[in-house]
Amino acid sequence: MQQAIPYKSWPPIHTKAQQSFSLKVDGNPLVSPPKVVLREGEDMLNMVSENAVIVFARRGCCMSHVVKRLLLGLGVNPAVYEVDEKDEIGVVKELETLSNTGKDGKVLQFPAVFIGGSLFGGLDRVMATHISGELVPILKDAGALWL
Amino acid sequence: MLGLCLVSGKALWLLWFDNKGLERKHFPLPSSSVIPLCCPKNMNSSSAQFVTSRRMGVYDPIQQMSMWGENFKSNNNLNSSASLIVEDVKLDSQSEVASHGISGPSNQYDQEATKPVDKTQRRLAQNREAARKSRLRKKAYVQQLETSRLKLNQLEHELECARHQSSYMVGGLDAIHPGFPGAVNPGITTFEIEYGNWVEEQNRQIRALRNALNADVPDMKLRILVENCRHHYIELFRMKETAAKADVFYVSSGMWKTSAERFFSWIGGIRPSELLKVTCGSSQINVLGPQLSPMTEEQSVQVGYLQDACLQAEDALWQGMERLQQTLAETVAASQLIEGSYIPQMAAAMKKLENLVEFVNEADHIREEALDQMFRILTIRQAARGLLALGEYFQRFRDLSKLWAARSHEQA
Repeated sequence: MQQAIPYKSWPPIHTKAQQSFSLKVDGNPLVSPPKVVLREGEDMLNMVSENAVIVFARRGCCMSHVVKRLLLGLGVNPAVYEVDEKDEIGVVKELETLSNTGKDGKVLQFPAVFIGGSLFGGLDRVMATHISGELVPILKDAGALWL
Repeated sequence: MLGLCLVSGKALWLLWFDNKGLERKHFPLPSSSVIPLCCPKNMNSSSAQFVTSRRMGVYDPIQQMSMWGENFKSNNNLNSSASLIVEDVKLDSQSEVASHGISGPSNQYDQEATKPVDKTQRRLAQNREAARKSRLRKKAYVQQLETSRLKLNQLEHELECARHQSSYMVGGLDAIHPGFPGAVNPGITTFEIEYGNWVEEQNRQIRALRNALNADVPDMKLRILVENCRHHYIELFRMKETAAKADVFYVSSGMWKTSAERFFSWIGGIRPSELLKVTCGSSQINVLGPQLSPMTEEQSVQVGYLQDACLQAEDALWQGMERLQQTLAETVAASQLIEGSYIPQMAAAMKKLENLVEFVNEADHIREEALDQMFRILTIRQAARGLLALGEYFQRFRDLSKLWAARSHEQA
């Protein structure tokens, strides 16, 4: 595939940063995935539900780099939300309420991957499902991959 | 009358009931003594124990029953009379207590009045038996201590040699033995000892697998061996996780491995894809020749997918590592002496180094998952052969390292 197909045919009004869907889907390391910048009153729920795959990570975290690389290598174009240290607590809280993690005492950890609108897990889960071969079907179901 | 002993913490209490079940005498004994009980008249041993424990409301009947059971097996003559024998390794006041205890409720012994000699003989025999057993136990313990001592000397010797070697290397002292001048990391010392034991157990398991495969034992038996082997590897991963918290550089640079193994070290161990090649060795992956014949078509395909997945995971993890190296280098390079200290940048650099622990853990996680997936794909027999191949592979590298070290010694 030479050109990525935008996964939803949004009317162009939407201002999300996913315009850069012209990225080549071959894991080209020179191209960085689209970054989503927090705007005032930005709705995280919207971001999570509108993106097939979105990764929430601390800025400059190397583990999140691993997740991004892995997803890119599979041909997925994950949206990435980089969290500053000062915003971290607020973001974590919001994500926890979004994904109902706080209930069972589990704490949301970065990097956090949401697939198909719901919390998928952290790097561990992504790696485990990748090795067992379950990740690709899940991504296809969520509409992040077309092959 | 029933005599009973309770093990409670360090103290051993001797409880007596007379035949009315009223009177009780308590004799505190040192914890080293063990009191076997002969069953009373007209009851077999197991029910005696049961009844007594129920009557007593003993809080740990099972432990005591097993303890008594052991002693019962050694004492062949379970006779009708109830008597109490105390066996003690250290003190000699026991016989006093025992005789006191035994002679206490005397009306029980009316039938026995005619043959006190027999009873004494029996008691003495049991005492001899118990003493003999404790001597054997002591001997075993001492032997264990001796072997540990030998191992310790061996380890110290190896350390000495390594120290001498490293002192010849230019500027290598820090790199080879971090914290070597004086500082000892207890977490790492623990790990080294545990790893030594792990390797021994591993060698034993490999032998067992080899024998089982050669003897063509049924799958059920193989399954047990395979499961043991699998859990053994998981144990290693847990050990490494703990050690990484103590000293991540020790684990990640493969210091715990022998020298030849270290040559192949990738983030604290073997590359997951290498792991697969060695275990599977199919013609598709082709490193050590067919170890698993025959693999079905589907299995070959699945192993191929797994291999690809491993390579992708390795690649992603490695890129993360490179990113870490890069940012760390930048941080350190940018550090300037501000009023005589590097502190702000060093703190940042320290935080980055902590990430290394996560990388080591993630690398082990990939290895563990890869092994798991292999077990899902392979049959038991194939898994056994694969584990044997893997174990022998590492064993050979360890042997190679020893040969190499010996050669270096000769030359030095």
